[in-house]
Amino acid sequence: MIKKSHISTAESSPVAIRTQWWFWVAWLLCVWAGDRLGGWVLQQGVAHSQFRYSRLYQGRAQADVLLLGNSRGLIFYQPEIERQSGLRSMNFSYNALSIDLGRVLVLDWLDRYGKSGELLLIDVTMCDRTNDPLVASFNTYRHWSARLDSLIRRRVPKAWWGGVLSHLFRYNSELFQRALFYLWHSDEDWLLDRIITPRMKQANEHALPYAITTQTYLMEQLATLVCEAQARGVHVRLLINPYWPPFAARITNLAEFKHQVEQATGLPVWDYSTALRGDHLFGDYQHVNKAGAARYVQLLVKDGILPSAAADK
Amino acid sequence: MIFNSLPFLVFIAFFLPVYFHLRGQWRLWWCLLASYFFYGWWDWRFLGLIAFSTLVDFFVGQRLSRTEEPNRRKWLLVVSIVVNLGVLAFFKYFNFFAASTAAFLSMLGWQVNWDVLHIILPVGISFYTFQSMSYTIDVYRRKIPATDSLLRFATYIAFFPQLVAGPIVRAAALLPQFQRDHHFRWDNFVIGGTQVLWGFFKKIAIADSLAPFVDQCFQSPHSFAALHLFIGIVFYSFQIYCDFSGYSDIAIGLARIMGFRFPENFRAPYFSQSFSEFWMRWHITLSSWLRDYLYIPLGGNRHGAWRTYRNLMITMVLGGLWHGASWVFVFWGLLHGLYLVGQRLVGPPFGKWLCAVGMPAVGRRLLNVLIVYTLTNVAWVFFRSPDFGTAMAVFEGVSDWSTFSWSLVINKFQVLKGGLLIALLLWVDGTSMRLNWQQLIWRKPQWQWATWAVMLWLIAFFGTFGANAFIYFQF
Repeated sequence: MIKKSHISTAESSPVAIRTQWWFWVAWLLCVWAGDRLGGWVLQQGVAHSQFRYSRLYQGRAQADVLLLGNSRGLIFYQPEIERQSGLRSMNFSYNALSIDLGRVLVLDWLDRYGKSGELLLIDVTMCDRTNDPLVASFNTYRHWSARLDSLIRRRVPKAWWGGVLSHLFRYNSELFQRALFYLWHSDEDWLLDRIITPRMKQANEHALPYAITTQTYLMEQLATLVCEAQARGVHVRLLINPYWPPFAARITNLAEFKHQVEQATGLPVWDYSTALRGDHLFGDYQHVNKAGAARYVQLLVKDGILPSAAADK
Repeated sequence: MIFNSLPFLVFIAFFLPVYFHLRGQWRLWWCLLASYFFYGWWDWRFLGLIAFSTLVDFFVGQRLSRTEEPNRRKWLLVVSIVVNLGVLAFFKYFNFFAASTAAFLSMLGWQVNWDVLHIILPVGISFYTFQSMSYTIDVYRRKIPATDSLLRFATYIAFFPQLVAGPIVRAAALLPQFQRDHHFRWDNFVIGGTQVLWGFFKKIAIADSLAPFVDQCFQSPHSFAALHLFIGIVFYSFQIYCDFSGYSDIAIGLARIMGFRFPENFRAPYFSQSFSEFWMRWHITLSSWLRDYLYIPLGGNRHGAWRTYRNLMITMVLGGLWHGASWVFVFWGLLHGLYLVGQRLVGPPFGKWLCAVGMPAVGRRLLNVLIVYTLTNVAWVFFRSPDFGTAMAVFEGVSDWSTFSWSLVINKFQVLKGGLLIALLLWVDGTSMRLNWQQLIWRKPQWQWATWAVMLWLIAFFGTFGANAFIYFQF
């Protein structure tokens, strides 16, 4: 508390008003109301977006094929999949998406749209990390999902409380920016569209060996997702999406990792890590580009992982 | 303890009411205790180091005030400088000099195998050492009288708002302010609070939002295209500006709330039209310290062109070394020294030539700003890089014009957010050269209410809440 005798209020009356306690209460209420109003406006923008998670939570994500992965899952190129297989697809993938987050998204989808008989393709290399900052980013969508809300509260309690304190804070994420970016157009052709540069190729020659690290928690999450999806009649296929072959050669423990996944889930892993050859098919070490994605879908169709639209006709 | 953390908010909420209730010695004791607590939150073991510097300089100051004998005064000053720089040299530069000497000897054919000491760098040591040294030097020069209160002097050295990352407030400016009690004043609260909020916005919303993009670029420059790296360099220039000036703003604002006046530390540096102007706008308290305690004693610009160039180079190289024990910092200082020398050599004829070709004044100003900003960025690349190899890889990447394409930029959303925030910053900086925002906000209360609310919303919407440490803590 501040003693009155120590307060200088020699200035004009608008200044003196600051010394009143009710002024500060009113000001705080205005800040709070502005925050809520701003949050509501931004939520409307997110709800109307064509972004994948907006569609998921707004009843606009019917599909026959579900695709899940991190940035390497984005190479499940939806226009090509739909063209070659004739199936509607929903891609949950996102840069550095972790499997616990992926599991929540898939289960939310199954609750809302699941009919049994869908196909779920998972690029298992997403089991290489947890990603709490990304979990916190899903504050943007927590309003529509009790599972997301619970995951955020468990994994990133500070971010959860931040979202309680400020609704504007819920939209402080790249996810929100993407939702705005895809406000008027589809995100289904989101894919790296470039060719690996000579500098990157050169740098790979001197790079250190690369190991895929995983944790028991992540393997458990994957295994649980597989069981839950199968229990709802979903056909699950586990894949390792293609790497740029010289980079794949640097990975020291791919076979061991694959074995771990197979042990945890009881399902075979389809290994496409070196299935594509040719620099023009890759955007960088770990991601194929559009040309590579089209070729990859051809392989998936050829191997029967995806049905062929031509055969159906 | 760092400003952008929950413990600090709790700390300040507890500190301020008690501070305004206490008077005289009790208030000084409270400030000193709080400042030591603030510093000890990081590592209490180094409190002894601050106390040691404080005691040495206090007693040297006392002795200086009691003796008129020139040689004795000189020796006392030498003792203070040797102790202060000795502590700094041991904690900050020992391994650097040991490794550099070993490398030099191995070049001459002598193989030495010295063990590296695992020395923890005490946070803020460069700041409080310079602050403490300025006191003894000024007492020696008879610019200020020696203080007779150890409590006041200890509070001056450890005063928490500016203890770990400046601004470097000299004894002449700050010590007298501890002699009287400052009452709570609404103008101080409003102006100081606005500056604190603006500092938080710069740190949390701008600097920490740009940091991930910049870190990626400098971690593996080979992986990114030219435009991506170019954006990374530009982002770094604003990251370090907002990080450091944000800290300064919070420090100055906090002190203002408490009734103290700190000198300005940044004044829209990227609008500078020359390098000498840049150094009058960037880290003003350090550059003025180096000017008054190094450049001018070396002779300044009083002994002809070559001596001036030499003095500039020495000052800037040592200024670079002050930032960190690494050759990249030395090179950064060297580059700025060269810029200052180059400006003296090339600036006047270049200005005449621009006038001769009929370039309008606005165009000349813009061109100068662009040149200074671009060359400053070249120096920043070395400052940010862990070694020369990384810096050269960044330059190599940026100069690969075949990859200077927007489609090759990764994390475009970070770029857009960063661009938006930088535009806002430049607008405020640009207008602040003509407008006194603080006075405007104080005189028009409705502006203050709206400004505070908008800043809180912007921090909530754009902030990165990772309690990331300030870059300048390492210096």
